[in-house]
Amino acid sequence: MGNILEIKNLKHHFADGTPGIDGINMTVREGEFVLIAGQNGSGKTTLLRHLNGLLVPTVGSVTLAGISVSENPARARQMVGMVFQDADSQIVGETVRDDVAFGPENLCLDRAEIQKRVSEALEAVRLTEFADQSPHLLSGGQKRRLAIAGILAMKSEVLVFDEPFSNLDYPGVRQILRQILSLHQAGHTILLTTHDLEKVFAHADRLIIMKDGKIARDGSPNEVVRDAEMFGVRQPCASRPGIEIGSWLN
Amino acid sequence: MAELTAFSFRTGNSLLHGLDARFKLVFLALISFAGLKAYLPGLFILTLALAAVMIHTRLSFLSVLKEIRYFLILLLFVFAARALSTPGVPVLEADILGKTMAVTGEGLYHGTLICWRLILTVLLGLLLVSSTRPSEIRAVMGWFLAPFPFIPEKRVATMIGLTVRFIPLILSQAKETSDAQRARGIENRKNPVYRLTKFAIPLMRRTFEDADKLVIAMEARCYTENRTEPELSSGRADWVALVGVVCLCILIVVG
Repeated sequence: MGNILEIKNLKHHFADGTPGIDGINMTVREGEFVLIAGQNGSGKTTLLRHLNGLLVPTVGSVTLAGISVSENPARARQMVGMVFQDADSQIVGETVRDDVAFGPENLCLDRAEIQKRVSEALEAVRLTEFADQSPHLLSGGQKRRLAIAGILAMKSEVLVFDEPFSNLDYPGVRQILRQILSLHQAGHTILLTTHDLEKVFAHADRLIIMKDGKIARDGSPNEVVRDAEMFGVRQPCASRPGIEIGSWLN
Repeated sequence: MAELTAFSFRTGNSLLHGLDARFKLVFLALISFAGLKAYLPGLFILTLALAAVMIHTRLSFLSVLKEIRYFLILLLFVFAARALSTPGVPVLEADILGKTMAVTGEGLYHGTLICWRLILTVLLGLLLVSSTRPSEIRAVMGWFLAPFPFIPEKRVATMIGLTVRFIPLILSQAKETSDAQRARGIENRKNPVYRLTKFAIPLMRRTFEDADKLVIAMEARCYTENRTEPELSSGRADWVALVGVVCLCILIVVG
């Protein structure tokens, strides 16, 4: 498979001059499952927000399937679906159905196509029975699934999850993990940030560790994880004595 | 899980839910205007009508009272000011700091009239919000503003739609902030200015932060002003309801 994402010498400085990310070079293959870890403030979220043009690079470029994100941010936002850390802040609609329809409505699709996509997306995340309910009444895990449905309805190819397990209980983590894995199996490219490797480590194809806005380590999860604690990321318990890290779904 | 406030849209199958949002907005304007011109018998009729609609739409009286409790306190001040400042026949007199304060019969009458009208207007707005999707309210605002030149109707409509969407969130955050402060003994401080400052500043900061997050989330989902809007379609029921509302308005004004 070819590269769906190419980042070249990406630097971003915030308005007050603080460096967010500093000289990132990376490529992501189509269908790859990339785990991005790093302590708070390491630049994970800043990096993700460049992938769909929410942030514009100070220096460098981000290319999605051959086309620069800066040149066509609307295409990038359709191609890269983002699930934010705070699911509540992502909810726009007054009902679950309205919220999922928000993206397709912005793509100016006709009403019949919108209804079709909304039904499919709700079915994919098993929220059909909540379609007419207020999103604010959903549990934490259900809200995350709603956010996923919102981007599925836009037919995004690359799915970006920013700390998808934060504030979730054990069943909630398992629900979301199962959902992410089924999307990966369906062919989506997944980029997922976390500072807690344990929950998803067993399923990733690649692990990137960030530190101070730079890529500190990049490679196969089993190799990179040994250095994780040097960069403020907790190493999964099982990996210390060399035991294979199991899935949270087992 | 959050609590659903009375100021949120609630799905339902009532007649009110089924009406075209454009008609509902016209009804709101007509009835509010008639209510402002009405006297006690007319207000009584309107109260009965609104109570019937609330029962029909399954809007809980208790949750409404809970939501408008601060507004009721404000109305109490309005009522007291009217009762004390309207000239007329005194029904109660008292000497306060050497000055005679009199509550007049006319003051009580006008105070009751104004407060009743204001409560009914708020209830009308609440019925509209709870039975109409914010996306429909946004589309209707755009539809009504479209004929006016130099008004960016879609932008104005989006602003109104988001404001309506934010009301329940702000109320929910206000409750959370209030609970957190009560847990840390704010009730021991009797100075209302101190309490108000300590309450309002974090609430406003959180509200603005959430507004920022919402804008980013909307941009991430390709938000644009030129989007597929909800379909607005009127039917026979809307026209029948219009006739009913006009009759009700006449009854309220002449009552």
